[in-house]
Order: sequence, then C-alpha cells, then structure tokens
Amino acid sequence: MLLPQPFKDRYSQLVDDPETFFSILEVLLPKSFRVNTLKSTSEEVKESFERYGIGLKQMDWYPDAFVSELPDIGSTLEHFSGAIYFQELVSMLPPLLVRKELETTKRVLDGCAAPGSKTTQLAALMDNKGTITANDLSYSRIRALKFNIEKTGTLNTVITNRDLLSFPQMEFGVIILDVPCSAEGTIRKNAELFDCWSIAEVEKHSKLQKKLIIKAFDMLSPGGTMVYSTCTFAPEENEMVVEHLLKNRPAQVEPIEIPGFKTSKPVTEWAGQEFDSQVSKTLRIWPHHNDSGGFFLAKVTK
Amino acid sequence: MKRPLQKRSDGLGKESPSDNRSPKELQSIVLNYLHERFGLHHSKFENFGFYMASKGRLYLGPKKLPVGPEIVSVGLLIGRLHQAVKPSTNLLQLFGSQVSKNFVEFQKEQVISYAKGEDVRLIEGQMTNSSPGYVLLKYGKTSLGCGLLQVGVVKNMLPKAKRLELKYL
Repeated sequence: MLLPQPFKDRYSQLVDDPETFFSILEVLLPKSFRVNTLKSTSEEVKESFERYGIGLKQMDWYPDAFVSELPDIGSTLEHFSGAIYFQELVSMLPPLLVRKELETTKRVLDGCAAPGSKTTQLAALMDNKGTITANDLSYSRIRALKFNIEKTGTLNTVITNRDLLSFPQMEFGVIILDVPCSAEGTIRKNAELFDCWSIAEVEKHSKLQKKLIIKAFDMLSPGGTMVYSTCTFAPEENEMVVEHLLKNRPAQVEPIEIPGFKTSKPVTEWAGQEFDSQVSKTLRIWPHHNDSGGFFLAKVTK
Repeated sequence: MKRPLQKRSDGLGKESPSDNRSPKELQSIVLNYLHERFGLHHSKFENFGFYMASKGRLYLGPKKLPVGPEIVSVGLLIGRLHQAVKPSTNLLQLFGSQVSKNFVEFQKEQVISYAKGEDVRLIEGQMTNSSPGYVLLKYGKTSLGCGLLQVGVVKNMLPKAKRLELKYL
C-alpha cells in the first residue's frame, strides 16, 4: 500500500515512532469482539472457544473485549445467538468512559448510531434499563442498526432518523457523539481508504464536526457528560473541534483514564494555532501502541 | 419503508382498521399467550412497554418514549399478531433461559440444519416438552430461536438475514 506523501509528512511530526506507525497500517486489523452481557458472560464465551480450539486474548482494560486468533468467528454458535458482537477495540471505548454516569442517567443519546456497536454496548452496560435514543442521518444504515439492536436483545432503545443538527431540542444526561470523519484510523480494515483521501476531505469533515459538537453540547442536561470521538488522526477533526467547542460554550473537559490501554497525549497546537489548555485532557490512540485502529477521545461535561 | 409507530404509550395501537380489539385487549392476548405457551409470566415484561406497528408487528421497548423526534422503531420485534401470536426468534433468544415449557432440545446436526434455514426432523423423545405450535429451540444452554412444531418436524422460522453455516458449536 502506498501512503500519500502529504499523509506521511503530516503524521511524521505527530507520532512517536513514524516507521512503526506507517508499517502497522499495512497489517490487517485483528478480529475483535465484545461479549454481549445481555445474553452471555465472558466466562461462558471463553469456555466455548476453548472447546472449539480457537485462541482468544482477553483485554485487561475491558474483560468483555476479546481478540480472536481466528478471523472466521462468524461461523460460531455465539455469533449466531448474539452472545458476541464483532466490534473494533477502539470503538468500545466511548461507552466505557461513561460507565459510571450510566448508573445514574436514564436518558442517553447516541448521535450517529449506525450500525449500532456503541448503542448495543451502552444497552448492555445499562442492563436494558433507561432509554437510549439511537439516531442516524442515513436511512440505509438504519436497517443495520435495527438488525443489530434486535440481534443483541437490546430493548431500551428508540431509533430516530434525523440530521442531528435539526434534532428537536431535548435534554440527555449522556451523549455519545462518534462523528462522521475521514476515518484515517480505519485503514487497517479498509485498504482503499486513501483512494479518496485529501486535506480538503478532512476540512469538509471538520466543518460539520464543529457544528455537531455544539449542537450535541446544547442537548446535554446541566451536569451531563458527552464523549466526542473520531477514528481519524487529523487534528482538524479532533483537537480543533474540541477547541471550537471551548471557544463557544462553557464546556469542561474531563481527564480520561483507561488502565491497561496505552494512550497518547493530544496535539497542543496545529497550523499556527495554540489550543486552550483544557484540550490537553483529550487523548489519541495510535494503532501501533495497542495493535488496534486509530482513535481520538474527548470527555466533556456541562 | 419508513413506518412510524401507529400508537404508543402503555397500550397497543390498533392492528388494522378491521381489528376492533382495544389496545389493552391486544396486549393481554400477547401476554397471556407468552405465559400459557412458554411459562413467561407477565412480571418479566413489567419494566417495558408494548408497541404496535403496521401489519400486526409487536415491539417490546422502553416503558416511556422520548417526546420530540419522530420515532422510526422501538426496542425489538417480539412477534406478529394476526389471528394468533407468532413469537420472534429474537424474543425467544433473549428470554429463552426463562422458558419452562414448549421447547425442543436439538442435537448438534439439527442445530447446523436449523441455522441454514432448513426444517428439522425430530427423533424419538424430542417432543416430550412440547405440544404442536411455536416452540423455543435450544442447544445446551443456548436459546437458538423460534420454530413451528408439527408432528415429527420443526418448521424453520429463522429470518433469512440470520441464517448461516455453523462450524463451531
């Protein structure tokens, strides 16, 4: 795979070990899944896979997360029955960051929900209690969302099909905002990504993300918590979006800890712009640190 | 294809213009069926709400719905209600461990056939827990889904999208 030179140039400056970083982007992402605790337990799933002779690696930072040594786990009974759900490791992080908040919050919004990985994980963490509004703009993706909600035995959801920017004004105690992005961090499972990659694409996404983060913040109830995330490396879509929120709203950025998972500091300035000191509490995940996809996370309270 | 719910709240919407039964009546038909057929007592559903969409489709979802946005779908489809109740595979997978009657325990080869979408012939002794009608299919502790039990055979009710070739079970 030939990485575009502008891509290499910009991330050589940001990453700790450019050579290892660029080389892991060529390696296919390992197959990971989450145990759906609405239907099963990690212990039961481990027992079954041991019987099948399929090696599993359980994640210290989230005992319901596993990496399988065999990619063909779509033909297991556990996949059939909805006891496991295929999900990228990094995609499991946003719901985990609000685990505590979910104990007391009954109203949750998943702003860009399809195909439902985070919605179904939130439901499992909430043990099907409370109400999750799972919204997605794309009607064609709603079908996958609905399928996954039903397959996992998720009961506490309503699906809406709106542009989040024109969503009726409502209040939520927890908002998960995993926005559409240039998806540079998914290159390990989508080798064609760079066919249409450009800085213009990054900037187009950044514009929309800035509007989305403001709208989502306005829907947080006082004291509420939002997790903003992307699966891309571009500062324009990550730190600069959080900076935009801080400039325009009285938001507080909360420190994030994921014991057992290697995270990295965010960018503190980009394109001649120095960011608010609160931006330093956000974090980046580089693929070569945990053998995962790339990700960015910000936890914000109102 | 976008079909918002016809009615909501604690009861059901009307099934169709020709169905004169009240929402409360429809809800108790379903609850009584689940209790009588599978031993699933009403109390197992008391924290959830029942919702009716078009074509007799019945959903189990949150008790209270958010007010504001137009809702495309609620919770999960638990079955269809026409002359009788037809439970969904997703419902029986979720509540299967609490089903106390009308279930069939499959053997390995039968599970593989069922997952492919085939009807499954039963062997002697497999029908002892069941009378003809919809049954829960099980394999060990795993609830597989819904089938229609006839004499000596389980008719496959698995939706096409859920079918697959099982290799590990």
